[in-house]
Amino acid sequence: MKTRDMKQHLLDIAGFSYNFDREIYVNRETRKVFSVEFVEDHDAKTLEECIREEIRENGWHFYFNHVPSDPVRRDLEAVLG
Amino acid sequence: MARAERTVEDRLREEYFDLLPDIRRVTEQLETEIRYTLLVVSRHLRRHERLVVTSRVKDCESAIRKLRRRQEGRSFEAEPPERYSLSALNDLAGVRVLVFPRGRISEIDLALHSVFEDWEPDPIQEDGGLLAYKYRGYTRASPTVKGEYQIMSILTGLFWDVEHSAMYKPEPRLAGIARHIGMMQRTTEVLQALKAFEEQFEALIPSDEDA
Repeated sequence: MKTRDMKQHLLDIAGFSYNFDREIYVNRETRKVFSVEFVEDHDAKTLEECIREEIRENGWHFYFNHVPSDPVRRDLEAVLG
Repeated sequence: MARAERTVEDRLREEYFDLLPDIRRVTEQLETEIRYTLLVVSRHLRRHERLVVTSRVKDCESAIRKLRRRQEGRSFEAEPPERYSLSALNDLAGVRVLVFPRGRISEIDLALHSVFEDWEPDPIQEDGGLLAYKYRGYTRASPTVKGEYQIMSILTGLFWDVEHSAMYKPEPRLAGIARHIGMMQRTTEVLQALKAFEEQFEALIPSDEDA
C-alpha cells in the first residue's frame, strides 16, 4: 500500500472524518484533530502512535505542525462544536 | 450607531482592489515579455509540437482563500490586523507556458531564464519527479506585486485546469478536497499516467531525419 493510502487507511479505521473547509481530520469521539500538514509531514508510524495516544485532558487535542494559538484554537473548537 | 467590526477578510478585500491595477499591469507585462522571448522557439516548432502561453489575474476570493490556506486549520487570527497581506502571495499575476513535447521544456526554461535570471525558482515536484518549473519575482510593472510563471507539459497543465474549473471553481469550498490524503494520491497517479502517456507518444514520433 502506498504511504498516502496507508495514512488514509489508518485515519479511516480510527474513525476520522475529513473536514474539507478547514482541511483537518477530526474524530469527535476521541476529540482529536490532525491538520493535513501534520499528516503529510509525519510518517505512518508516527501518525499511528498519535492516533493511539491516550489523552487524559478534556477538550480537543490538536496535532498540528505549529501549536495553534488560543484564537485559532477557539475558532476551530467553535466549528467542531 | 455602532460600526460593524471589520474582519480580516474585509481588510484583505480592500487591499485586493488597491492592488488590482498593479496585478493587471504585472500580468500584461509578464505575458508580453514571455511571448516575445519565446518567439525564437515557437517559430521553429515541428507540426505536432505545441507551445501555449496563458495568463490570469487571480480573483479576490481565490487570493483570500490561498492566504487562509497557509494557516494550519485555515483560520485567520483577527489581531494584529496587519498580520496578513495579499502582497505576500506570489501568484496574484500568473503566466503559464504549456509545452509539448516535454523535451522542449528545458529549452524554454533556458530561454526564459536569460530574461528572468534573478527570479526565485520554486519547482513543483511530485514523488521526486519534476512536474513544473516555477519562478517568481518582480517586473518593471510594479514594485509591490510579484509575478509568477510556470512551465509544464501541456497535459499536466490541462489536467490542472480541468480539475480546477470543473471541480473546485463551481463550489470554492470544495477546493479543500484536493488536500485529502487519498485525493492527493489519486492526483499523483493521474499525473504519472499523463507523463507516461506523453513519453510513450514522444517515443513513437519519428525524428526529423526519419520523417
